[in-house]
Amino acid sequence: MARTGSALVIVAALIASAPARAETEFSMQADAEKVGTEDTFRLDIVISNAPEGAVLGLPVSNDFEVLGRSQSTQMSYSVGPGGAGVMTQVQKHTLTMRAGRTGTLVIPYATLTFGGKFIHTNTVTIQAVKGRLQPERTTRRPQANNPFGFPPGFFPPGMDDFDPPPRSEPFAGGNEPVVPRGDSDLFMRMSLDKTEVYVGEQVMITIHLYSRVDLSSVDSVTMPKLDGFLSQDFKSPSQLNSTQRVIGGVPYREYMLRQKAVFPLKPGTVTIEAPEADITTGNILYAGRRVHRKGNELELVVKNLPPGPSTNVVGRWRLSREVSQTEVALGEPVQVKLVLEGRGNLQSVTLPPLGAPPSFRAFDPETTDKATNSRSHVGGSRTIEYTLVPQQTGTFTLPALAVPFFDPEARKYDEMRVDEITLTVRPGTGGANVLTVPGTPTIGGLDGPKNQLVGGGLKSLRHTAHFAAPPKPLSSQPWFVPAALAPVALSVLGSLLGFALGALGQKTPEALKRRDARAAQKRLAAAQKLLKTGSTVAFYEEVERALSGFMTAKLGVPTSALTRAELTAKLSEAKISEAERARILAVLDLCDLGRYAPGMGDASARRKAIDDAAAAMGGWA
Amino acid sequence: MMTSLLLALTLAQYTPQEAQALFVEANDAYYRGDLAAATERYQKLLDAGLGGPDVLFNLGTAHLAAGHLGEAVLFLERAARLSDDDDITVNLAVARHKQVDQVVGEEGSVPFTQRLAAAMDERLVAIAFLVSWWLGFALLWFARRRAKLIPGLVAAVLLLLGAVLGGALGIAANVRENVIEGVVLPDSAKVLEFPGDTAKVAFEVHAGLKVRIMETSGRFVRVRLPNALEGWTQKESVVSL
Repeated sequence: MARTGSALVIVAALIASAPARAETEFSMQADAEKVGTEDTFRLDIVISNAPEGAVLGLPVSNDFEVLGRSQSTQMSYSVGPGGAGVMTQVQKHTLTMRAGRTGTLVIPYATLTFGGKFIHTNTVTIQAVKGRLQPERTTRRPQANNPFGFPPGFFPPGMDDFDPPPRSEPFAGGNEPVVPRGDSDLFMRMSLDKTEVYVGEQVMITIHLYSRVDLSSVDSVTMPKLDGFLSQDFKSPSQLNSTQRVIGGVPYREYMLRQKAVFPLKPGTVTIEAPEADITTGNILYAGRRVHRKGNELELVVKNLPPGPSTNVVGRWRLSREVSQTEVALGEPVQVKLVLEGRGNLQSVTLPPLGAPPSFRAFDPETTDKATNSRSHVGGSRTIEYTLVPQQTGTFTLPALAVPFFDPEARKYDEMRVDEITLTVRPGTGGANVLTVPGTPTIGGLDGPKNQLVGGGLKSLRHTAHFAAPPKPLSSQPWFVPAALAPVALSVLGSLLGFALGALGQKTPEALKRRDARAAQKRLAAAQKLLKTGSTVAFYEEVERALSGFMTAKLGVPTSALTRAELTAKLSEAKISEAERARILAVLDLCDLGRYAPGMGDASARRKAIDDAAAAMGGWA
Repeated sequence: MMTSLLLALTLAQYTPQEAQALFVEANDAYYRGDLAAATERYQKLLDAGLGGPDVLFNLGTAHLAAGHLGEAVLFLERAARLSDDDDITVNLAVARHKQVDQVVGEEGSVPFTQRLAAAMDERLVAIAFLVSWWLGFALLWFARRRAKLIPGLVAAVLLLLGAVLGGALGIAANVRENVIEGVVLPDSAKVLEFPGDTAKVAFEVHAGLKVRIMETSGRFVRVRLPNALEGWTQKESVVSL
């Protein structure tokens, strides 16, 4: 009985405390006061405890375009004063809208009609400007206590995202993330390990998710665009692993979603856009919802490298080189391994060429990159394997290699280098030494590598020089033209002089004598032409005229009409010797005889006559 | 020859020993890979008026090894004008192989006068001209005095030969004065449609290209390529040979 009575008391109490419906509340609110005509904004219409059969009338305005609509309903139960239960039902209608024109625009009230009654919300005023204001638009923050008195986190994730994520809020106060007001139960934050770096220096971007609710899965994470960076994944967990974190006295579960190492490529202040993620809440017992979260933007200051050697290699690097052998037979391959290892962006490091001597045939190298990440840095090693085949005997050098780089941790330039390596190539021991009969073909494989002496390339320098200014052409020398004209001028002068002398000297007795003597010489020359072929008479006459002319010229008186005695007297007066006189007279007699006596026409007689005449004229001259 | 050498050395204030030492220093610098030091020393000799074909060849070769194509072609061409050594031809061929420009449709035949001027040894022709000219006139005088036929004929032949050689020298002098060739020095030079800063760029030429300099107007020179393509470029872009 006692037990039956107790049960009745409890039932009565429950009946007495049956939940009562609260009063209907109806409100409307936009998430922005000022928008651009290219921006979208949300208009939330909230109805709490809507009566049954209530009909919602959405605000209608030609100034706005409704781009989307969604609706959610939430029930809650609470115990009021005096132990009375209160059931609250909240309907939330969300319109995604866009202003159609600029100016101060008013969204008319929404209406709710039920049981012949009609209630309406407040109107909402929006300032619309041309263009896009999205990054800087004024956000209408929800009140600390919303109109319905629900504490933050009352709505399950996905229903109470009044507050879009703050634009740029890197972790303030060391590693303490800033908790957003609206999404305090589930929010995402992006952080950098440095806010000021050099070009090419590593920056670690980490994206964390903070939650006070159970998470089922993170469906997708959208990383910010990283234009102007080289990026490399550092951590990308495939499972949700949480660590406990107390933020502002509130315990949170911290999930690391992504970690990426990035390397800025150019100086300046760079804004990194906010990441986004789709998350499903809930657990095995409770099926949650899929919600979308957006993180924060960040700013990064990128500085130019300090003055120093010209290089764009940043990090901390080391270079080493190995050769398989330093003494090798001709034609035998040599393996050269160049290894670069260290911290930094391996892809941005460019190594200089090996610089193999031209007497080595170099095959395309094989390059192997291997990423090795430390706790907080990316890095790795690059191995470049060259195969060189010597084509000539001798001693050759692989030159030293040196690559400067900037070490951002030490904030100074350093250098990675390898020393030069000497390689000795000796003649091969193969078929090159095999003696064969000349002219017989060599057997394949026995003909070993040869010392190849290849022509081509630049001709070597002169080692002795003849120092001289470039000579001027001979024809450009100042004396050349006078030298060329001189013979012409001399000829002209000579001719003029001869003419002048001839003109002046022909009237004097001596000149006349010389002229007559020259005429006599010419006659004798004419007689010579008659020596063989001319008639005998003409020949002797010519010789006689020549001699007479000569004597006339010498004696100054005509001699052709003189007798022999007169001629002898004249010759004696002219102091011609006895012998010369006799020779002249003999020639004249010979000419007389030759004209009239037979047998004087033969060549020997003529020759004697002309020779005697020439001798007589020569002896007198 | 000796006099001109002594004169040059006096002007340069280099004794022959100093000049030779500088030359050897330049060669050493070249062989140890210090091409800048090598070219600087060769250039000193050149500036001192000691630019014979050997110095020009070494300077051009050092520029070629340093990758200065314009200067390499310039000095090797100058060396080629003073000497017909095979080495100069080979290094010039290497330099031309590295040139960026390929002149498409080069004129098939160079004018006869230019070919004649390029082919002849002007010094030899000048000496032959003077000898034949003087001898011709001397024989002519003799033949006239003595009324000899053979000397007269020989004199005529010699005078005719002298006239031909003199004409060739005149052509060479004309080509030398009026046909000025140059080499493009900078890596790239814009060739404009007319001499002015507002002119449109007709085409670009690159280091080592040999062009003919036609005329000068202010800061510009008109250049002609072997295929008759013409335009105006900055004076300092082209250096005459």
